[in-house]
Amino acid sequence: MSQLKPHPAAAPPQSTAALLRAQSVKKTFRMGDSTVPVLKNADLAVRPGEFVAIEGRSGSGKSTLLHILGALDLPDEGAIEFDGRDIVTMSETDRSELRNKAFGFVFQFYHLLPELNVLENTLLAPMIENSWFSFRANRRKLRERAAEVLTQLGMEHRLKHRPNQLSGGERQRVAIARALMNEPRILFADEPTGNLDAETGRQIMSVLENLHQKHGQTIVMVTHDRTVARQADRVLVLKDGRLDRPADSPARE
Amino acid sequence: MYKLLLILKYLRKRRIAWVSLVAVMLCTAMVLVVISVMGGWLRMFRASFHGLSGDVIVSGKSLAGFPYYQEMIDQIGKLPEVDAAMPTIRTYGLINIDNQIREGVQVIAFPEGDLGKVNNFDQSLWRQYQKPRQQLLEEANRPGLSAEERRRLREKADHPMNPSFDLLPNVPYEEMRGPVSKNWPGIIVGAGLVGMGKDKEGKVQEIPFLYDHWAYLTLLGVSADQTRIDVQQAQTVAFWIVDASRTQIWQYDSNTVYVPFKVAQRYLKMDEVRDENGNVEEPARTSDIQVKVKAGVDLQKAKVAIADVVQKVRTLHQIPRSYPILVQTWEESQALWLDAIENEKSLVTFLFSLISIVAIFLIFCIFYMIVVEKTKDIGIIKSVGATNAGVAGIFLGYGLAIGIAGAAAGLLFGYLIVHNINYLHTELGRRLGIVIWKPEVYAFDIIPNTMNPKEVAVIVLVAIVSSLLGALIPAWRAARMHPVEALRWE
Repeated sequence: MSQLKPHPAAAPPQSTAALLRAQSVKKTFRMGDSTVPVLKNADLAVRPGEFVAIEGRSGSGKSTLLHILGALDLPDEGAIEFDGRDIVTMSETDRSELRNKAFGFVFQFYHLLPELNVLENTLLAPMIENSWFSFRANRRKLRERAAEVLTQLGMEHRLKHRPNQLSGGERQRVAIARALMNEPRILFADEPTGNLDAETGRQIMSVLENLHQKHGQTIVMVTHDRTVARQADRVLVLKDGRLDRPADSPARE
Repeated sequence: MYKLLLILKYLRKRRIAWVSLVAVMLCTAMVLVVISVMGGWLRMFRASFHGLSGDVIVSGKSLAGFPYYQEMIDQIGKLPEVDAAMPTIRTYGLINIDNQIREGVQVIAFPEGDLGKVNNFDQSLWRQYQKPRQQLLEEANRPGLSAEERRRLREKADHPMNPSFDLLPNVPYEEMRGPVSKNWPGIIVGAGLVGMGKDKEGKVQEIPFLYDHWAYLTLLGVSADQTRIDVQQAQTVAFWIVDASRTQIWQYDSNTVYVPFKVAQRYLKMDEVRDENGNVEEPARTSDIQVKVKAGVDLQKAKVAIADVVQKVRTLHQIPRSYPILVQTWEESQALWLDAIENEKSLVTFLFSLISIVAIFLIFCIFYMIVVEKTKDIGIIKSVGATNAGVAGIFLGYGLAIGIAGAAAGLLFGYLIVHNINYLHTELGRRLGIVIWKPEVYAFDIIPNTMNPKEVAVIVLVAIVSSLLGALIPAWRAARMHPVEALRWE
């Protein structure tokens, strides 16, 4: 394993079999006595190798939708299918396994573990996957891979640093490295540039672009920023709890 | 793997958890010290009382004693369970040592030549056992000896030394108190009675010229029918001090004297009385018969067999009910003492365990706080694929680590205290004037300072399990956290 290769399952974007499919997803939040329906009827199909952006105003439920798509949360009604498997009826343990091996998450606020350094944070997914014994047996291979991923993200000089010693952009790079460690089928990004200045945001977006173009990574991203959204292959707008094509987009499907 | 890494990081960085570690350490040490001292005290008691009274005791429960004891002894000696039996007399008297010490004392009479036959009294004697033994052992440890010589010396130290009440060969008794005095019997005094204690380094302080001192002992005889104490016939007997007894039991060492059986019997008017024709008018009496049982024999079985013999002799000679005779194992005879101490130990253990429950709550609070503090991190870990059980495992493992570290530190701390407790107590007395351990109350002049491995293992295990229990609910809470809600935590 010398560098990020296109994932074996990443087919060219024109392949029609959906990798991730959401149907009639509903989610309602309870706030005291009142209920707030956030997602009313969200439908989505993501094909392998696609870069999909979901655009929506803050409070529109876009993060909620992303969490549900990524098996971090469950919808009140509706079906989510990944690679033909029903996520909603899966056991929580199976969902955990998906999150560990098939999905990678990048969050707006990076969400790195403060006590671990850059390398350790990056290695989190394989550390969860492997027992103490198997991790020790494979540690050199895993460390090399982690170092590679971090190098490709420009973080090779910061391996032993703690998150609180890094800038926002650097932390996001580490988060991306962490998400990529287990070669996820889908990379989920929740407002990845939301906490960064314009320049750093552009850098991060170009990292994502690179992953998509050169390595065929399937990416599902949510953002409120139209310009950021437009960098994806396909943009959907989340409004009133439903996903639609943007008003000003040419018909693309 | 992530669990182990996080536990190690949390152990090092989340210093508040060190508070719970200290709590576990203190509770463990506390319970260890208390149980060791009280348990050690119990052990010392049992060993000492056992050592002084033989295995089974046949006792007349009054100062008059009981008769036909020799017959009983002969028959008891024939029992397969029995090793040896000997009569003893217990009574009270007034002693005057060289006009310098005048006290009321307990008087115990052993047959001459039988010292150590059924009990360990011989090992309490300073001049005839402890001192020569100590010297032999010191000799054996001298540099420059061959292994063979050392072995021989040590063997000699372990060899029985056959102490007795005999007068010392090189003391000029006649010169001190005249020609009659060389026929005076020997008396053994409790070491505390004559002020023989231990100096600051723990070495025995010998009394110079102890064996040049005479002692007048005034005994009060009780008539056979226990109706009269003839004060006018109170007998004062002259003795020479031939040894001091250091049983380490304060009550014995500070006010007991030991005299030859026949002497006591005669002057207490408990010996045989014959009429002009030589017929027995009054049989000889004794206070107790002490019996040593063969090794490995069940004491209860032996007691039953001995009681049978006693009953037979009773019936044969129609010993009236006014002579109560009780057959007990040594434990039963000390039941009042031993039960009281056992109860105290249980009570104190219980109380300290209650205090330790406070430690569980402390750990619970601290871990609960840590889990709440780490809510976001738990969300992160779950988002990367950790299962609920795995996350719970982090905190359970954390609790276990704290428990093990705390219990180990507590064990070390407790061991240091127990091992050095006598030194600490002396220092406490010297610097702050606080004396907690009084030999008059606790019977021994040293505080027990050993640990029982079984008790230690139980306490350490309980400490570790308690830590685990304290972390249980917080770990469960961590397991149940919803990843998305956790990630949103501020």
